Amino acid sequence: MITEELLQVRSDIENNLRMLLGRAVMVTDLDAFALPCGCNGITANIRGLELDDIEVFEEQMLIYFKKTASRLGIPPSFIFARLIPGSSVVAAINWRVLCDRCYPDFARARGKTPRPDIYIMHLERRGQQKGTKKG
Amino acid sequence: MKKKLYVPHPGHFDGLKELISEAGKDIYSIFMAGSPDYVGTGRSNLSSPQIEDIREQTEYAHKNGVAVEIVLNSSCMGGRHLTPEGFNLIHWYLEQLDSCGVDTIVVADPFLVEAVAKDFSMKPVVSVLSFVNSPEKAEFYYDLGASSIVVDPDVHRHFDVLHAIRDAVDCELKLLVNEGCLYQCPFRYAHFNFFSHAFGPQPRPNVLTDYYYERCILLRIKDPRLIINSPWIRPEDIHEYADVTNVFKIGGRTHYINWILNCVRAYTDERYDGNLMDLLDCPKDLKDLYYISNRDLDYAINHWKNCPTVCADCGFCRDLTEKAVRVYTGGGTESERLIEWSKIADETAVHA
Repeated sequence: MITEELLQVRSDIENNLRMLLGRAVMVTDLDAFALPCGCNGITANIRGLELDDIEVFEEQMLIYFKKTASRLGIPPSFIFARLIPGSSVVAAINWRVLCDRCYPDFARARGKTPRPDIYIMHLERRGQQKGTKKG
Repeated sequence: MKKKLYVPHPGHFDGLKELISEAGKDIYSIFMAGSPDYVGTGRSNLSSPQIEDIREQTEYAHKNGVAVEIVLNSSCMGGRHLTPEGFNLIHWYLEQLDSCGVDTIVVADPFLVEAVAKDFSMKPVVSVLSFVNSPEKAEFYYDLGASSIVVDPDVHRHFDVLHAIRDAVDCELKLLVNEGCLYQCPFRYAHFNFFSHAFGPQPRPNVLTDYYYERCILLRIKDPRLIINSPWIRPEDIHEYADVTNVFKIGGRTHYINWILNCVRAYTDERYDGNLMDLLDCPKDLKDLYYISNRDLDYAINHWKNCPTVCADCGFCRDLTEKAVRVYTGGGTESERLIEWSKIADETAVHA
């Protein structure tokens, strides 16, 4: 059942971040989402994480986050952190499969912050993608 | 002297009936928010009881021997209350509440303390959001007409200050036992001003996220000592305040009735055998992260009664944190267990 898998993945993300950082982190919820535009994916709402933590451990986190995406059957094409605007507080990690309409918003941006509250950890440009999945 | 408990009520009639049927004999008064269309409060709104609903609920509470308190403790009204239109509107609303038989009104603004004391039969209560933390400030509000003052929790463990406040005024003092906010919180003024507007009269700001809450939670996940030295009062310790007051307020009007009843039982019995986090109004998110056995906190009050609260020179709360705070790992799975906070890095295992 998908919710049982989500429970286990929520716990595993939390534990992985705790091992990396050596302190408590809390994944307050792990949600699957589907948007009317066609975007879909998973959001892990997180407490206890800051942008500094991601910058220091980005490589290790990314390896784990890609594995997590595969575990849940999501192409690991776009992974980003959502920040509390104007601060270094990380509110969530998102695994998002971009639809054709939303893809340019992120793909055309320079650097890792297409918007002040978004920190891109990984984005596969369409030319780089192995699959051709729409949405 | 018999203890008086002020108990949170989310605002819906069914909730009031449940509170009274389950714990009416232990409740001196319930408190709930009024309508945010007139004056906001220090919490988000679960309900917005209208005048007739408040009248009906007040009649029901009084029939069952329970007093009713309405909370209008906005810490910022943007000056609206000082305009002729704003004053007339708020005064009209207070008239309506008075006609409902409401016993007490909690307000934070000194202007409203004076207005309620002068013009109405219901009594003004000075809110915790007036930050009364000294005998001088208490005297000021007493002179404005306060019938009761909810003392700033930041002085809950400064017994010399509590005694000085007690000696300075003749009105009732109330202690908010389970707020659970940060000691000397740097966000407090800004956060409650934000609440006042976000959950007060229109226009309400369309904010993206509650920065203050998120930052507060982050701090306490990084350092749970900030939960231990938060100025809550355990059920077992309220007798230590007997020479200050016999009136205690339980925070939590955004919680379920079951949660509120659990707190009422604990503070009535003056004992709780469980997780301290079960009793704290804020931060409720962290009760699924931390387990702090209330029994492990026995006798800590003996230190806090004489604590100079210069944390850098002490270490008592740091040591207590190491001893008492445990963290859930594997939450929601078959492998859920508790580990000591200080060993979190060593004992955390990853499933996949």
